[in-house]
Amino acid sequence: MFAIGNGTDFFRLLSLLFNGALTSLQIFFLTLLFSLPLGLLIALGRMSPQKWINGPLKLFILIMRGTPLILQLIFVYFAPFYMLPESMRFSLPRFTAAIIAFSLNYAAYYAEIYRGGIESIPRGQYEAAAVLGFTKAQTFFRIILPQVIKRILPPISNEVITLVKDSALVQVLGISELFRVAKNESSRIFSTTPLFVAGLFYLFMNWMVTKIFETAEKKLSYYQ
Amino acid sequence: MQILKVENLSKSFDGTEVVTNVSFEITKGEVVAVIGPSGSGKSTLLRCLNLLERIDQGTVVVAGDTMVETSSNGQVRYASEEKLRKIRLHLGMVFQNFNLFPHFSVLQNITEAPLRVAGLSIAEARVIALGLLDKIGLHDKADAYPYQLSGGQSQRVAIARAMAMNPDILFFDEPTSALDPELTGEVLKVIRNLASEHMTMMVVTHEMSFARDVADRIIFMDKGQIIEEGAPHQIFSSPTNERTKTFLKNFYNNSGF
Repeated sequence: MFAIGNGTDFFRLLSLLFNGALTSLQIFFLTLLFSLPLGLLIALGRMSPQKWINGPLKLFILIMRGTPLILQLIFVYFAPFYMLPESMRFSLPRFTAAIIAFSLNYAAYYAEIYRGGIESIPRGQYEAAAVLGFTKAQTFFRIILPQVIKRILPPISNEVITLVKDSALVQVLGISELFRVAKNESSRIFSTTPLFVAGLFYLFMNWMVTKIFETAEKKLSYYQ
Repeated sequence: MQILKVENLSKSFDGTEVVTNVSFEITKGEVVAVIGPSGSGKSTLLRCLNLLERIDQGTVVVAGDTMVETSSNGQVRYASEEKLRKIRLHLGMVFQNFNLFPHFSVLQNITEAPLRVAGLSIAEARVIALGLLDKIGLHDKADAYPYQLSGGQSQRVAIARAMAMNPDILFFDEPTSALDPELTGEVLKVIRNLASEHMTMMVVTHEMSFARDVADRIIFMDKGQIIEEGAPHQIFSSPTNERTKTFLKNFYNNSGF
């Protein structure tokens, strides 16, 4: 099973996987960059008392959480071409399509985490801020959000860890990320070793993610 | 000088009237204690006065500025948002559950509003905050966080936080109800000190001996209405209304005071 030939071959495998991992990391960071703020906006809209705002967002969250991410990837990539009238057809670059699908999907999950966090802050905090004369924006960004972030770190870290592994799904659009590279190499040299090594890559990345979240939680443990 | 004028204020929740046609005034330097059974509308009245609830009818004037008025055809009109924000600066509020900001140190809890709302410099806000901490005897807790404080200490910080905005009138919503009996004393002492400095205050309280000793005037409320109003010695020794008598009799029986 661990037939990996000589040292040169192993070095070649590592550099291949490393390149694949770089693509995975790009997807990971770009998705976080877009989905974390987008999720907050969706959460705020979802909590709006206006039906025409919260209704569509509820439906959006239902669809994004209720259908497979792999299907959403396919949809974002193919829909602009196959579902639009001929004159309006266009195709997104694969990578762009992948980032859009991932950002929308993860934003839906983050939105629900934010909402849970925001709704868990006692009303007294808003009232204390109001009687002191804070504006709504000041109240949210200075008083509420910092407390929300502390509370939602554990569920967010869950999602971020899942994102590292979910990045493997973009291979469905033919993007050469870590897992696809490993699978191809596996078939080529007729060995499962590349897949196992790829597994170690994922494990290492998530070990880093875990460390980062542990540090963040520790930093915010100065208050209760 | 008149700080607060309330006329015919009414407030309902889902069709149930909680405050009914309440009128009273508070002049500068006066300490008014609002007493009455639970559910008599005392807290709701206070929350209406500092804009945490919107009223259904009536007029409220704060330091000469009309916060809300009701026209002759029953239309309730609040001042513009901008003006309400200004009026709010005249009003301070101390809650039953303190509502300190847990992620801020004691000092930050006190300086945050002077910095961000009143626009003071960090140095100015610090001087004010440290002065107030001296006054409430918590100078050494400036860098502590709320979770490290006792209930009594928390409430004293909450009072300092409200005072830092230099309000014209300070409202207290049952400031000692969430405290162990042994901790109420330290909070009442701070309020007493404020009274001796002629801070204008309206205190909703169940502490009868405190109301009797510190207040200049007592308002007795029951079922959303002001039943009786007067000097403490008059209310406590010779109440005229039957409901006041019953309420105070229960209280005397329970406390032996």
